[in-house]
Amino acid sequence: MRWIWIDTFVDFVSGRRASALKNVTLAEEYLHDHMPGHPVFPPTLMLEGMAQTAGILVGEARGFAENVILAKIRRAEINDYAFPGDQIRYDAVLDSLDDRAGVTSGTMHKNGKVVGRADMIFSHVRPGESSELPPHNFVFTEQFMRLLAAFRPRAATGSTDAG
Amino acid sequence: MAVSRDEVFAKVRDVLSDALGVDQEEVSLEATLQGDLGAESIDFLDIVFRLEKAFSIKIPKGELFPDEMLNNPEYVEGDRITPAGLEKLKQALPHADLTKLEAKPFVSKMPDLFTVRTIINYVESKLAA
Amino acid sequence: MRFELIDRIVELASGERIVAVKAVSNAEEYLADHFAAFPVLPGVFMLETLVESGAWLVREAQDFANTVILLREAKNVVFKSFVRPGNLLRVEVACRRLAQGESDFEGVGYCNRDEVVKARFGLRHFCLADRDALLSSADSRLAAEARARLADLRRHPPAARE
Repeated sequence: MRWIWIDTFVDFVSGRRASALKNVTLAEEYLHDHMPGHPVFPPTLMLEGMAQTAGILVGEARGFAENVILAKIRRAEINDYAFPGDQIRYDAVLDSLDDRAGVTSGTMHKNGKVVGRADMIFSHVRPGESSELPPHNFVFTEQFMRLLAAFRPRAATGSTDAG
Repeated sequence: MAVSRDEVFAKVRDVLSDALGVDQEEVSLEATLQGDLGAESIDFLDIVFRLEKAFSIKIPKGELFPDEMLNNPEYVEGDRITPAGLEKLKQALPHADLTKLEAKPFVSKMPDLFTVRTIINYVESKLAA
Repeated sequence: MRFELIDRIVELASGERIVAVKAVSNAEEYLADHFAAFPVLPGVFMLETLVESGAWLVREAQDFANTVILLREAKNVVFKSFVRPGNLLRVEVACRRLAQGESDFEGVGYCNRDEVVKARFGLRHFCLADRDALLSSADSRLAAEARARLADLRRHPPAARE
C-alpha cells in the first residue's frame, strides 16, 4: 500500500481552494480485507484524501516552507460510502492561515454527489524545529510535488477572482 | 447593535462546547479551558478561529492567548514567571484575573488564567471597541 | 498491507468499554511514504484504531448481528504526538450510545501512558441483506469470520489462524 490517497488535482487556486480526485479500484489489495467479499473504501482513507488535498493547499500557500501536519479533525461526516469503480472528489477550502496553522473546510463527493464533509486544522512545523525531527521538509515528498506540478497552480488574483 | 452579556455567554458556550466536545452544562463561568474542559494547544487555535467567526471580530495572534511569552527569557525563568512577566501579562490580558497567578507565579499555572469568564470579558471588550 | 489495525483486545466490558492495542512496525510498507525520512503512524490510522475498537465493541454487544460497521462521523479528533515503529498504541474507547443501527464513542490513544490521540466518533451499522436480500449468505460468512477473529484478538498470546 502506497501512502498517497489522491490521484490527480482538478482545480487549484493558490491560497484559496483545491479539488482532487481519488479513483477506487479493486487493484488496491487492502480492499480485499475491507471487507472480504464486499469491498468498501475505508472512510478513514476518505478523511486522509481530504487531508492530503487540504494539506497541499495549505503548504503551497506558504511555499512549502514548513512541514504541514494534521493536528485536528474539527468535524467530519460521512453519509455514503465508495466502492470499486467509484470516483471520489475532495473539495478543500482554505479558511485561515498564519505561521502557526492552517484551517480548512471541505466536502467529499462520490460520482458528483456530496457524500460528506471534513473540517481540519494543520500545524506548521518548521524543519528541524526539534531534535526528534529531520532537518528538512519531510512531508512534501516527490510524489505530492509531481501531482501538483501536473496541474499548474494559478495564483489567486484578489477581487477579480470569482472563486 | 449591542450584544448583551447573556448573548455573549451563550455564543461563547456554543463555541467552547463545539471546539472541545464538551456538554454545554460543563461550560460554567469559572471553568478553566485546559484543566476543566480538556483543551489541548491546537484547541486554542480552533477557539480563536470560531470566536472570530461567531462575533465577526479579528483576534490578532497572542492577544487572547499569549503563547509567545513562554519563549521569552525576560518573562519566564525555568518554571517561574518573572515579575516582568507578570507585568506583561497584566497589560496583555486585561480581561484575565491574575490574583491566583500572582500568588503562585508558576508557568504550569498559566493555563488556569483561561477560564470561560476570561473569554467572555475579552469578547465584550472587542465588541465595545 | 492488511487493513486490520487492531492486534490485540485486552479488555472488553460488553456494550460499555473496550481496550485494544495496535503495534507499529517498520514492516508496515506504507510507512516508507509516511514519511520516508520520519516514519510515523498516520493520524487517520490512529483514528482507524479507535474506530475498529468501537466496531468490535458493537459486534460483541450485538452478537455479530450487523456485518458492516463503518465510520459515520468524527469530531474533536486531536493528534497530540507521533507514534513510531516500535511503539505500541493502546486505545481506550468508551461507548456513549449503542442503538441498533448507530453508536457513539469517546476514545483516547496512549503510547507509554502519554495521550497521543483523542476523538469522539460515531459508527453506522447494517447488514448486507438490509440492502439486498440475496446477500444474506454473505452476511453469515462475514459474521462467522468476525466471531472467529474476535476470539483470536482476545486470546493471549494470539493463536495462529488457519
